[in-house]
Amino acid sequence: MKISLNWIKEFVNLDGISVDELVKRFGLSTAEVEGVEYVGKDIENVVVAEILTVKDHPNSDHLHILTVNDGTGSPVQVVCGAPNVRVGMRTFFARVGGQVKGMKIKPAKLAGVESFGMCCGGHELGIETDTTGIVELDNSFPIGANIKDVLPVEDVIIEVDNKSLTNRPDLWGHYGIAREFSAIFKRELKPIERVDLTKYNNLKPLNIKVETPNCFRYCGLTVDNVTKKISPLSMKIKLNYCGMRDINLLADITNYLMLELGQPMHAFDSKIVHGITVIETDKNIEMETLEHASHTIEPGSIVICDEQKVPVAIAGIKGGLKSGISEKTDSLLLESACFDSATIRRASRKIGLITDASLRYEKSLDPEMCPIAIERLVYLLKNIDNGIVVSSSLTDVYKYHYPTHIIKTDADFISRRGGVKLNENEISDILTRLGFKVNVKNGDMEVVVPSFRGTKDVTIKEDLVEEIFRMYGYDNIKSATMSMPLQPVEQIPEHTLEYDIKYSLASIFNFNEVHSYVWNYENYNKSVGIKEESIVHLMDASKSGHGGLRSHLLPSIIKIADENKNKFNDISIFEIGRTFDELDENNLVKEKKKLAIVLASSSESEKELYFKLKQVVEFIAKNLCGASVTYDKPTKNPLFHPINSCTTMQGENIIGEFGILHPSIAKNVDKRKNFAILELDVRILVTLNKDAVKIIPTSKYQSVSIDYNFLADKSMPYQTIENKLNEFKSSHIVEHSLKDIYTNDESLNGKISYTINVIVTPKNKTLESTDIEKFSNRLISHMAEIGLTLRS
Amino acid sequence: MQDRIKEILSYARERLEKINSSAECQNLRVELLGKSGKITELFRFMKEVPNEKKGEVGKMLNDAKLDAEKMISAKETFLSNLELEKQINSAEKIDITLPSAECTGSLHPRTIIQHEIEEVFKSMGFVVEDGNEVETEYNNFTAVNVPENHPARDMQDTFWLDNGQVLKTHTSAAQNRILKKYPLPIRAIFPGRCFRNEDTDAGHENTFFQLEGVIVDKDVSVGNLIYFMKEMLSKIFKKEVEVRLRPGFFPFTEPSFEMDVRCPFCDGHGCSTCKQGGWIELCPCGMIHPEVLKNGGIDPEKYSGCAFGLGLDRMTMLSFAINDIRELNSGNLKLFKQFKLKA
Repeated sequence: MKISLNWIKEFVNLDGISVDELVKRFGLSTAEVEGVEYVGKDIENVVVAEILTVKDHPNSDHLHILTVNDGTGSPVQVVCGAPNVRVGMRTFFARVGGQVKGMKIKPAKLAGVESFGMCCGGHELGIETDTTGIVELDNSFPIGANIKDVLPVEDVIIEVDNKSLTNRPDLWGHYGIAREFSAIFKRELKPIERVDLTKYNNLKPLNIKVETPNCFRYCGLTVDNVTKKISPLSMKIKLNYCGMRDINLLADITNYLMLELGQPMHAFDSKIVHGITVIETDKNIEMETLEHASHTIEPGSIVICDEQKVPVAIAGIKGGLKSGISEKTDSLLLESACFDSATIRRASRKIGLITDASLRYEKSLDPEMCPIAIERLVYLLKNIDNGIVVSSSLTDVYKYHYPTHIIKTDADFISRRGGVKLNENEISDILTRLGFKVNVKNGDMEVVVPSFRGTKDVTIKEDLVEEIFRMYGYDNIKSATMSMPLQPVEQIPEHTLEYDIKYSLASIFNFNEVHSYVWNYENYNKSVGIKEESIVHLMDASKSGHGGLRSHLLPSIIKIADENKNKFNDISIFEIGRTFDELDENNLVKEKKKLAIVLASSSESEKELYFKLKQVVEFIAKNLCGASVTYDKPTKNPLFHPINSCTTMQGENIIGEFGILHPSIAKNVDKRKNFAILELDVRILVTLNKDAVKIIPTSKYQSVSIDYNFLADKSMPYQTIENKLNEFKSSHIVEHSLKDIYTNDESLNGKISYTINVIVTPKNKTLESTDIEKFSNRLISHMAEIGLTLRS
Repeated sequence: MQDRIKEILSYARERLEKINSSAECQNLRVELLGKSGKITELFRFMKEVPNEKKGEVGKMLNDAKLDAEKMISAKETFLSNLELEKQINSAEKIDITLPSAECTGSLHPRTIIQHEIEEVFKSMGFVVEDGNEVETEYNNFTAVNVPENHPARDMQDTFWLDNGQVLKTHTSAAQNRILKKYPLPIRAIFPGRCFRNEDTDAGHENTFFQLEGVIVDKDVSVGNLIYFMKEMLSKIFKKEVEVRLRPGFFPFTEPSFEMDVRCPFCDGHGCSTCKQGGWIELCPCGMIHPEVLKNGGIDPEKYSGCAFGLGLDRMTMLSFAINDIRELNSGNLKLFKQFKLKA
């Protein structure tokens, strides 16, 4: 929102305070300032001039050659393109050597005719909206006077961030901002000058009916005999500087009031609208509004209708075209009303029409402002158009009064919350400056919240803490440490493990971490043959473009691998992310935290990739979780190869699955790469039963290393052999490892030969050859129990 | 006898002069000091030395034995040094500027920054919590004092799910659970993924990460909040930073602040990061609203607290000079492979 400092200064004297200081203190105490613009500085040597002669330009059908009296005595020749030039008219004239909005005025030839200066359009000067001609001045402007001496064209425009005013309905007009400056700098706030309308109480009231509780207050007044059509330039300047167009006097003055007091107003032509009925519509209503656009008003919106219930305005948003003021209007029905903020906001969003009025109503305006705004408008209008006649009493339908908030607090509470010792006088002083009333009795403070702060913003004592310390100055609060008991902090194992996994995958396995979205990308999944169903969907799927949430993490990561396939020969990526594949008995999502890995390689075989993933699982289970896991039959998940995939378990507990990507998907993602994929449940990893820590004692005696070539059936998984080896009992320390595998030798008769290296270490004596022989025989017959034979 | 000793020693010296391998040294040692070595043999003749001379000759012979050993060892050391030098000088000169095998693993930049910040908080006695991504309307809105009619609850700002839950719009959604979970005093942070139903551009994402923290104790004050934020941000930026509070507005805190930090990249002189303003708006914060404490089972008359939120994505972008927030969720490996494990 743009704030004019000239306007502010009409309500509070800020002499002697620099703009920098004003802006800085306002930013620290009230709201964020987005920018400061010094307007009018780039207007120089522009004076009031009278047109003496007008001639058509010989070489142009729209240019004129003028002579003007700019007060210097001798007429100045100037070429002008404006259509509204005429002899005797006064306008603003930029002399040679001057400038208009950064444009330097130099002698020039226009279509062959010399021109010494420029007659200025109001738009060129930034003081009017109209772009069709040059400024028309009445004779009260003395010839030769500098524009800066006759009009407030120099101003400082402070742009305040609208978002930081969300909770402050009182700051959506200049008067409210002036109140803040008055409180910050301890300067007096001047009262709003207005007409006392009670003297018209004997006039006939208007017929105003309010049929919805969401119209809190509706004030109306009729004014007749309006003769002026054009706003004074001083008013146009303020409107334009604050980012609003000037249209005509009656439209401008309602906008002016809105910018000044924050109260949106509307003027109906009282020849068309004689009375008001405020309703909440239960059906769709079509209406053409003032900006010549047609809108559908949906049920639940408040509509202003006339006595015959013909809709004439969308409450709090926009007036209707037919009932609005026109060139012919000379009598008005003024509306100054207050509506429920949420109703206006919803209506505005549904219609798709956000206006200066609706933005203000959304903030919960103070209904007390309604009659004041009308009184102010009549005051301003009378100053401009002295002949106006008030033709009704101020008719006021006040349906809903906000409660008056009285907050009990004390100086000790305020001081403790702020961390600064303040006494009752200091507190009272600040609150009073902001418009609060404070009563102090025996150390207890009773604070009455003014109506303009009481619609939602200030209701509890913590709100007062904010009021007091933003004025005291947050930068005056000394930082202070806390005293808290010294306690060990227990971190969440799941969170710690999550980082450990990520760090290990990146550091040990050289994988790259990615982050994906939680959406189920149905189109992508379908295109590569992934069947991914969503359990939960977004309500407004069509608008957001996202359908459901993912049930598995892997499709997200496969998609990323796919997107990168042409840039890399090898891809090893992972993510720890959430999946949403289950609802509990209360229909709430049972969210899961998964680790997914996709390995894609054009050099490594599927088997190598599969085993790399096994190494990852072993690392996470053994090294990070201290647990042993098993590898069970292939998973039924259709993402995986039906044979070369497995389920990772501990007991009956399924941790996850990994294996080779199903060939039907792999061929769609990238034919030239092999793929292996993994998905583990991180929350289950945390709950795994840990292995007992077993340290094998070291021995000072010499070890003996022996290789055994065992023959086994192809159907026997190695796990069976390993388990059997682990069961072997010996008085020595026995360590074993798989050294080699032979499968293709003809002499094996279709069996597999495993070369197992066994290291035997005696605990308390040196091994003799007889000891070794005894050991070997026992081991061989132990392994024979599961059908293993020694290869001859 | 004495002459014989002298003779053997001078023989030894002569031999050592010519020797140039350690094997020859060993041979000489055997020849002189071995079982039947020249010096060893002389000891057998000691019995023939007259008694009055035995002391003098015996000493001389012992000294000769020690001298011989010393001479040989010295020569051996000399030779082995020579050998080592030769070995060193003949070594292949390895060009260590050739590339080594690369460690190509990387963490997501957000993970790197998140972990770094978490470590700072842990060092200050905070527990790191973790929230859900799908939340109930109660946790996301009601519990943290977002009123029924607040625009944030509207369809256009929030991803509502067909089961009535929401994708959490802020990390504050975890506050209620955390306030209920821990005994007082509470110091906790909770990083997490948040969602907003809005169009994306370089500065906006529908999926982004925040890190939120709460401190609850008796008489936590605005002064405490300033102290804490200053310490924490100084640690994160690895330099003493200046902070300032400005009024802000959030339903879950009262009073609410925007916290600015004096731009750590230009020390407040003005740069592109702070848009020449000298301050960076970094951290919405405030004193926890009494309703939020009440909803968390904490008596706001007895306790107070402060809460703050850090935009993890913003911190990440600041740290790594990433200009487009969408890059963070892009899966662009050309970008991500450039990161390592730490900032």
